[in-house]
Amino acid sequence: MLAAPLWASHVAHTGPDTTHTTEKITVDGERREVVSPDGASIGPVWFGADGRFFLGADGRLGRDEMVRLMYGGRTSLLIGVAAALITTFLAVVLGLLAGYHRGWTDSVISRAMDIVWAFPVLLLGIALGTALAVGGLQIGPLSISSGSIWIPILIIGFVYTPYMARPLRGEVLALREKEFVEAAVAQGAGPLRVMFGELLPNLWSRIIVLFTLSIANNMLLESALSFLGAGVQPPASSWGAMISTGTELIYSAPLLTIIPGTMIVLTVLSLNVFGDGLRDAIDPRSRVRLEAHAGTFEPEREGA
Amino acid sequence: MKKLGTALAMAGVAAAMALGLASCGGSGDKEGGTLKVSFASFPDYLDPQLSYTAEGWSAMYNTYIPLLTYAHADGAAGSEVIPGLAEGLPEISNGGKTYSLTLRDGLKYSDGTPVKASDFKSTVERMFEVESGGSPFYTDIVGAEEFLETEEGGIAGIETDDATGEITIDLVTPRGTFTNELAMPFVALVPGDTPAKDQSADPAPATGPYEIVESNPGRGWSYARNPQWADNNSELTLDLPSGHVDKIEAAVIRNQSTQVNDVEQGKTNWMFDPLPADRVAEVKRRYEGTQYRPESSISTYFFWMNTAQPPFDDLKVRQAVNYALDPAALERIYAGEVKASQQILPPGMPGYEKFELYPHDMAKAKALVEQANPSDREITVWTDNLNPNDDAGAYYQDVLKQLGFDAKLKVLSGDNYFTVIGNQSTPDLDTGWANWFEDYPHPNDFFEPLLAGSSIAPTNNGNFAQIDVPSLNEKIDELAAQQLGPEQERQYAALDREYMEQAPWAPYGSRTLSAFVSSDIDLDEVIWNPTFSGDLTSFQFK
Amino acid sequence: MGRFAVRRLLGMLLVLFAISIIVFLIFNVIPSSDPASRIAGKNATPQLVASIERTWGFDDPLPAQYWTMMKLIFTGELISYSSQLNVDEQIWKGIPATFSLCIGAAAIWMFFGILFGYLSAVKAGRLTDRALTILTLVGISVPVFWLASVLLYYLTFKVQLFPSGGYVPLTENPLDWAYHLILPWTTLAVLFIGFYSRVLRSNMLDAMNEDYVRTARAKGLSERQVRMRHVLRNSLIPIVTLFGLDFGAVVGGGAILIESIFNLNGVGQYAADAISNLDLPPIMAVTLFGAFFVVLFSTLVDIAYAYLDPRIRLEAASR
Repeated sequence: MLAAPLWASHVAHTGPDTTHTTEKITVDGERREVVSPDGASIGPVWFGADGRFFLGADGRLGRDEMVRLMYGGRTSLLIGVAAALITTFLAVVLGLLAGYHRGWTDSVISRAMDIVWAFPVLLLGIALGTALAVGGLQIGPLSISSGSIWIPILIIGFVYTPYMARPLRGEVLALREKEFVEAAVAQGAGPLRVMFGELLPNLWSRIIVLFTLSIANNMLLESALSFLGAGVQPPASSWGAMISTGTELIYSAPLLTIIPGTMIVLTVLSLNVFGDGLRDAIDPRSRVRLEAHAGTFEPEREGA
Repeated sequence: MKKLGTALAMAGVAAAMALGLASCGGSGDKEGGTLKVSFASFPDYLDPQLSYTAEGWSAMYNTYIPLLTYAHADGAAGSEVIPGLAEGLPEISNGGKTYSLTLRDGLKYSDGTPVKASDFKSTVERMFEVESGGSPFYTDIVGAEEFLETEEGGIAGIETDDATGEITIDLVTPRGTFTNELAMPFVALVPGDTPAKDQSADPAPATGPYEIVESNPGRGWSYARNPQWADNNSELTLDLPSGHVDKIEAAVIRNQSTQVNDVEQGKTNWMFDPLPADRVAEVKRRYEGTQYRPESSISTYFFWMNTAQPPFDDLKVRQAVNYALDPAALERIYAGEVKASQQILPPGMPGYEKFELYPHDMAKAKALVEQANPSDREITVWTDNLNPNDDAGAYYQDVLKQLGFDAKLKVLSGDNYFTVIGNQSTPDLDTGWANWFEDYPHPNDFFEPLLAGSSIAPTNNGNFAQIDVPSLNEKIDELAAQQLGPEQERQYAALDREYMEQAPWAPYGSRTLSAFVSSDIDLDEVIWNPTFSGDLTSFQFK
Repeated sequence: MGRFAVRRLLGMLLVLFAISIIVFLIFNVIPSSDPASRIAGKNATPQLVASIERTWGFDDPLPAQYWTMMKLIFTGELISYSSQLNVDEQIWKGIPATFSLCIGAAAIWMFFGILFGYLSAVKAGRLTDRALTILTLVGISVPVFWLASVLLYYLTFKVQLFPSGGYVPLTENPLDWAYHLILPWTTLAVLFIGFYSRVLRSNMLDAMNEDYVRTARAKGLSERQVRMRHVLRNSLIPIVTLFGLDFGAVVGGGAILIESIFNLNGVGQYAADAISNLDLPPIMAVTLFGAFFVVLFSTLVDIAYAYLDPRIRLEAASR
């Protein structure tokens, strides 16, 4: 069920943005309007219409809620994973550089992290999201149009970087003192070789745990941003955006809020449980480490 | 109340209004009490010279009275300009360029200072000095443009005499809408020594039946009776109502569904905002006629198409869009709160004559697009995020897709939507949603700012369709210089049709607003003025 | 020690300065925020827009605009573009609601976080632990705004158990104050309860294997005494640290969603409104306000740690 979004396009009878405002469908042999003239949309019909409008329509536009839920889930998962990849990439590079080089490299990176860190995550996310939602992003050859889902992906990937880079930097600082690093340096290995050849392999287990938990957090942040209109832009659907439209109809159709929210809870919960188990499996003695300076903690937190 | 009734009879105001007031004389009417009202957002300003929103105008309708004002009545009767602080309607001479009025003698502000004729001049100057959004209505006054530039030396075109109360205004060119403009809150009198900066946090002394005694910007404000009203101003301005309740407390409650809940539970007596689409069906079912009444507004909701760029530079494409949009679908999207109409002037506006040029016909629309065969099919559709406008935009996008266009939707915050689409440096301004609520009941208000070639501007553009048809521009100018009469109304109706033949817009209706009150308010008494919406003097506890 | 504190405080100012520049840039590169046109309104003429630009200084070069804005923030004279209200005053007015929300929620999350964490660690592996683990994992997996909306629907509309939002000042009516805040407190606390009890649980489990705990047991202290005096106490130190940081973060922005949904009219809601308006002055002031709390608490935590553990001072000095 949670993986259903992956094959959304193969099972859907209609597009996720296609409106059916004035259409009628046959439910158990009875003709019913998708949206009534006073704006009430059809509720769940289950298998009454051969799988069409399984969960009813998503409001007065008469879009199929089930279809949107599947496509929306695809967006939410994509954002969660893509942003986590960005975070991980940035965090690994920055963590390795800062931890290995120490000195001024570390100072610059750590101060930059401090700045992003001190920015209230949600505030930074909304500020960037709102700003980019109007004009899009144009940096040199890179050009992203304003409605693109790459905007929330980049924002989320960016704002969570310090939350992952900090613990990794601490790890690198500790590993750097180990003999095998000294041995590699003595054999004439360059900094890049040491960083990616010697240090990185020792970080993998930790990175994988952080990565899993980061997907969960990203999905939560995505939903909060979309809820505030600074994430996925309509008419595209994501679970967060669906909650956002759902809450506008909560007094007449509470299911439209409850369903996408439940999907988020279940998915994030699975990821958290999985990440938790993974950590226990990889490092039984692991615990949430608290790094003394600037009080760092692991990123199984979220900004919302 | 009785006094008010007779005064109105004397003034000979429309029968509809007298009817509305007849029930006032009935027994059991309760005076006094504290009225609680809610607004979804704080008015832009609680300063009459600055406010340019429905919230602000509704909030200040009964505190700051201009020389002229609008009758306190529902529907068409409420669109009538009546004398406010002036003794009568203006005498217009010099070929429509000179307006003469006389201030009533003996009026006082709520702080006790007398109202002087020179306060009108200082008020207009103040409006320019605070750079009000209303100033463009008054730049035709002789010397006003210079004053806006320099803020020195006063406005030459306004002469006042404090002894006699005479006020004379000279215009550069005749302006048929000027009587309406004298009734706008922008020129509602405030004392001459009011500082030339926003007074929202500490509102200026009032001339109307209520004064704002407390203002907490962003959160709420409250009124009490103007101490000078009962024994002074009321006697002098008999055609203005005095109000029933003693106090009014206005609170900002952003969530409109919460506003509905509060009215249902009696915590709030009236909500300013229209019902959220989600609640319409429920409220209608439970409260129609007892606590709820739909109110029509003088507004047009439409999709504009940029006629200056492909593909909408082709008339066939624009007509195709008009055929393709289904008013029935849009009515549903607005939960029945939009009354379908496919023309520029809305019902209730002088000059409105119903016609239907483009009945819904998808096949015809597709055929037209095929004929036109535009090469540029990439379209950006703009709309704001205030529900259901965002849904209307999504529907429009879907319709354009069905017509074979590659349409993208761009949804902006309602707070800056019009600034963004009015700025021509914004890329991809192809087509999108817009609405227009009247500033005053004069049809020019729907043509000149929205469709005249002269209104195309690099920023704050109002002519979103960028339509510039010389023959129609001339007609707008010609009519704008004349006083509105039956002949002019007929010509405005013709203009409406001529513009729709050009199809710069695909209009889809006018918004239905709502009067929704708690169970202890007498709904029959509530007056809904088409320009100022809910009239705070009309609310009365049962 | 004194030098360390000074260094941290200087760093704190630097971070705030950098943040103010970033915010300023983000909102100055948006092509359409165009404040002059927005102030001018829907019928504006070019003269009017030009005149507004002069008055507000929008035609000055960017560094000059930045300087003016910062000067105005700190003299308390900053005026919002969209409503022309004094920004600092609006923030002051929002503070009671924001603090009421955050402090109340913090009390709840600390209490339940510690309770659940303790129970879970003590009963490790047993049913209580399993149940609490699931509960707390659900807690950290729920989108806060969704929970708030759903609770609002069921508890204020379906069953009219609570008021549907709004803030009543404590000084006006303490009972009403609490009554209005119960739902916002609960929703805000859920996430942190989950998170804190997870952290406490693993800290306690780790601590139980430490030498000092074995020593304590060897001294013949009862298991209960060992748990309360040694294990819990030592495991709480990191929790207190986290609390300092989280509290700063919640005051400085985490409360946006809750405040908006429950119409609390605090600083967070002010921020949300300002952002949707693209209204730079309040965004700037609120972000600095929020960042100030985040940085302040993290600095306090640092200094406290350095005080407790001299090694950190040395490490910091070596950087």
